[in-house]
Amino acid sequence: MKSHFSILSGITLGLLALSFAGEAADGDWKRGRVYYRFVCTDCHKGGSSEIPPNSRSMAEWKAYFQADKHEKGKTSLKYYVSKAFRESIKAKNQAAAKFIDVPEDQLMKDIEAFAIRGAKDGDAPATCN
Amino acid sequence: MRKELLTMPMHCLFAWGVLACAVGLLQGAALASTADHSQFKGLQQDFKSGSAVTKICLECHTKAAGEVMASKHWSWEWPDPHSKKMLGKQNVLTSFSLGIQSNNPVCSVCHVGYGWKDNNFDFTAQENVDCLVCHDTTGTYRKQSGMAGHPPVVAMEFPPGSGNVVKPVDLKEVAQNVGKSSRDNCGACHFYGGGGDGVKHGDLDSSLAAPEKDVDVHMNALGLDFSCTECHKTTRHQVAGSRYALTATDVHGALMRGSKDDRNPSTCQACHGNASHKLARLNRHADKLACQTCHIPQYARGGIATKLTWDWSAAGRKDKDGQPLVEKDANGHVVYDAKKGSFTYGENMVPDYFWFNGKVDHLTVSDKIDPTNSVPLNRFYGSPADGASRIWPFKVMRATQPYDKVHMTMLKAHTTGNDEDSYGKSFDWHKAVTRGMQDAGKPFSGQMGFVETEMSWPITHMVAPKEQALSCVACHGAESRLAKVPGIHLPGHHAHGWLDKLGWGLAWLTLLGVIVHGAGRAFTSRKGARK
Repeated sequence: MKSHFSILSGITLGLLALSFAGEAADGDWKRGRVYYRFVCTDCHKGGSSEIPPNSRSMAEWKAYFQADKHEKGKTSLKYYVSKAFRESIKAKNQAAAKFIDVPEDQLMKDIEAFAIRGAKDGDAPATCN
Repeated sequence: MRKELLTMPMHCLFAWGVLACAVGLLQGAALASTADHSQFKGLQQDFKSGSAVTKICLECHTKAAGEVMASKHWSWEWPDPHSKKMLGKQNVLTSFSLGIQSNNPVCSVCHVGYGWKDNNFDFTAQENVDCLVCHDTTGTYRKQSGMAGHPPVVAMEFPPGSGNVVKPVDLKEVAQNVGKSSRDNCGACHFYGGGGDGVKHGDLDSSLAAPEKDVDVHMNALGLDFSCTECHKTTRHQVAGSRYALTATDVHGALMRGSKDDRNPSTCQACHGNASHKLARLNRHADKLACQTCHIPQYARGGIATKLTWDWSAAGRKDKDGQPLVEKDANGHVVYDAKKGSFTYGENMVPDYFWFNGKVDHLTVSDKIDPTNSVPLNRFYGSPADGASRIWPFKVMRATQPYDKVHMTMLKAHTTGNDEDSYGKSFDWHKAVTRGMQDAGKPFSGQMGFVETEMSWPITHMVAPKEQALSCVACHGAESRLAKVPGIHLPGHHAHGWLDKLGWGLAWLTLLGVIVHGAGRAFTSRKGARK
């Protein structure tokens, strides 16, 4: 019985690990699009504060996400995707509330996937609209 | 094994169950399908064309191409049971395109197939069906305008000599990630109909890809998040709810899930029924009004302008250097293009309203016209008296486009491409029309002029939250939206001075009568008491 249980548990844990790996490997650009549009642009709207995905190249976006610097390094980009941040705005921001349980790393990948897809040299250059 | 599971300690069994559930949920969320297409050997190759992908798809989905080929998305034809005419994109005229036959390499960017560049396209070859355009989930698949419906598979300069490099599509990546159609798949064509974002319909544009609640309460990205097929239920690749076969009046109520009923499932009533308001008075309005009339107060509400007019006759102007002129307005909209003419745009537009009973007629180049009046390119029939009509909202597109002065028919023209017959190259309407009519197989007298046209587009998307539905005064006030709709009396709007005076006069007289009568009774009763 013990051997069967070990095998079962092993397979299950393996599948679980695989599923997490699969999740983390790719960003969901559609979820990223919603977060970008409804959370990021909630502050970054109008005039020079607007940062449409097509204002940067794919390489620039990759470097931006890699650097993890928001407001020229004053704050961390990760903070604005963190659960703590989403908790703090969820009462007035439906997107933050909707994605409250999405792991931080995954959500960051989602947003990056959308930004790179929407970059000026990306597959589908996108505006904030 | 089963016996051993039963004899497992409870905490082990619980832990195993939790883990198994977690795996199931996560896998389900990640794949949303029972098949991982990246595991299929046939799809683990570098594809050189879309057709090569289709051949692999059809090895398993053996009936899919046949079903697609039976659809309007494939044939671009639709036999109209009312007029007995063959309609569909191949035959109808719009204000936005002067016919597809001589412009196929461009128009086919939205055909669900590969290679329709001229009249020799093989509509029977299953490998010509494009599965990916509707089933791509990566968002990277795209067909290139001018390539007859093919996606670019190598980096290329397009248009030639422009310096603009078009990136190739990774067909292997796309093929391994196919899935259910989403708003982005449908929207790749339907949001961009007429040559640009939001240009044609007025209620369909890219703002619906991830809209706010105010733009569309059903598609709200943070709410119901409906895909197109939630309403446009699709069976065997036949998409319900075409504008060629609209249901103007649905009196059947909500459609049961799983019902074998073959009625149109895309009507409002198919979900909401016929008495969804708390106020009976509002429900009674549904005897005369389409739901859309009150619940879509304006179209083009997503921040993207729609075209309202198009003057083809204005095309051809060049700058002082002899280069074709292109002018934009302050919002960046192209308001003049030497290859196409001049345009006007609008956002947050109040619709026009007509009676509509479900019967629509579309003009073809075989139909005679009267050029002394504005020519209706389509006609929505209806009447206040037939019991089958409802008042519907429409976008009315107005244009000026070519017609045959001798045959008294509208004309098709070759407007795209880089050849000498193309208007975009030659700026010669005679050449463009001669070629356009020749490719369409229709006669051209050689004498052409320009005539004003009107085309109506039913408004049925961009449903607002109920709080933003029209209020009573929008129709019943002095400035009524329905003022031009015949055959209805709108209390509050249709006021007549003499009738009002008569009514108030009668009311005052009645009150006076009651007072006099009451006073008389009081007087006589007092008198009686004294006696």
